[in-house]
Amino acid sequence: MTFQHKMAAHCESGTVTALLNHAGLSISEPLVFGISAGIFFGYFESKKFPFPTFVVRNRPGQIRTGVAKRIGVNFKEQRFRSTEKGEHALDSLLAAGNPVACQTDFFYMNYLPNHVRVHINVHFITVVEKRGGVYVVSDCYSPTLAELDRDSLVKARFAGGSFSPRGFIFYPVSIPGSIDYRKAIWSGIRSAAFNMVKLPIPFIGVKGIRLFAKKVVDWPKLARDVDHLSHEIMKINIFLEDQGTGGAGFRFMYATFLREASELLNDPDLLEMSKRIMEIGDRWREISLFAARIGKRRDLGSDRLGELGAMINARADDEELFFRDLLKLGKSKK
Amino acid sequence: MKEKDASVNYKEHQLILYVEKKDGSYGPVKTGSYITKNYIDDFWYKRKKLEQDYMGKVRKGEISPIAYYMVLEELTPSELASRVRMSTRKVKKHLTTRHFGAITLEQLQRYCEVFNVSLVNLLQVIVTDKKNLKVIEEKTDNPFFTILKISAGKK
Repeated sequence: MTFQHKMAAHCESGTVTALLNHAGLSISEPLVFGISAGIFFGYFESKKFPFPTFVVRNRPGQIRTGVAKRIGVNFKEQRFRSTEKGEHALDSLLAAGNPVACQTDFFYMNYLPNHVRVHINVHFITVVEKRGGVYVVSDCYSPTLAELDRDSLVKARFAGGSFSPRGFIFYPVSIPGSIDYRKAIWSGIRSAAFNMVKLPIPFIGVKGIRLFAKKVVDWPKLARDVDHLSHEIMKINIFLEDQGTGGAGFRFMYATFLREASELLNDPDLLEMSKRIMEIGDRWREISLFAARIGKRRDLGSDRLGELGAMINARADDEELFFRDLLKLGKSKK
Repeated sequence: MKEKDASVNYKEHQLILYVEKKDGSYGPVKTGSYITKNYIDDFWYKRKKLEQDYMGKVRKGEISPIAYYMVLEELTPSELASRVRMSTRKVKKHLTTRHFGAITLEQLQRYCEVFNVSLVNLLQVIVTDKKNLKVIEEKTDNPFFTILKISAGKK
């Protein structure tokens, strides 16, 4: 069967969805994202990052493992110590006609525009075919199937550093005959809401959003100069909108998940929650646009950054209320 | 977000956004990147300035070419060390001109893999005042040897 390439909002949820669709399971990207408890927030400062950063999704790999656990799909997963063995395993699977998902370093995806390519080892693509020395790749961020030379794919699959892929590949081997969507959806919702409001870690969930609001005011002290600060502030927009989130840091995709779930389970409570998170997403988007604007104008004084911090803090208030209500709702539906 | 607010006409960088459609349903739409369309010039301005600033430091001998690429590719010494399979201490030394001279060819090759540049480009930059020149680097089976093809491009 020919692999159907489709753009998706996010690389991991898009790749998992495409492979499941190819294997015969009709499921949407928002359902995969929601069931796997993809929505998240974390603010990080680490020696591994040149500047403080934040993430708006769960840990890389958890979309696959979350959906596998909750709907009962079985994925075959492999990592490799040797480049040769990893390459051989991929080629053998492709020769047998199996599309295979690979974890890669995004930097080497040379079919994408230069300005978006950064070193990050958690980009997922589906390799569909090998033609001579070139791989045909379905990348959720590319409008069409792309070609990637062997050298680049090897470098991307075996890059070192944080979250080193070590040639990681996966593909579904069995899909359950019937799926208990009610159980899967509510389990995913409870897990996501718990992560957002109950984890006792100061940089995760709503606490992470508050930390971000507090710390962004101090970013000028960490920047080399005003252009560097502008670059980092404008990256807030990229992380929320452009870097594979479906908009507003996955909040729009999560709203779509709740809406689909409400239709699937015939549950009006979920419909109400989907409208609420869509509105919260709209306000996250205001932050994105504000960050891009002040970054471009180099209008980055303490008053302006204070304004940005206050906007982020207000989102923390919104999300605390929303995810507490969602958790309560999830518990009541057990 | 309403569908009409998501619509950005920019074919060079397309992405998927989830929106509220006209009929009130939620779903994906393919659209152009708002930030790329409106702010890409500013991105390239800052990038070029950063390249010039750090190239100036390389020229003055204040930093090594490894430091130059590390900053441009937004890596830290710790992350770079993990990628080139060396200690952070050693990588920090390689960022200075003084210790760069003591680096082995094999170590240099590891940095080239990460930065995705050829060995020779870690030791020089190509500058020309001619426009429309096409510069192509051709790899050979020898990892330490590349062929540089310079030709006049179409006017």
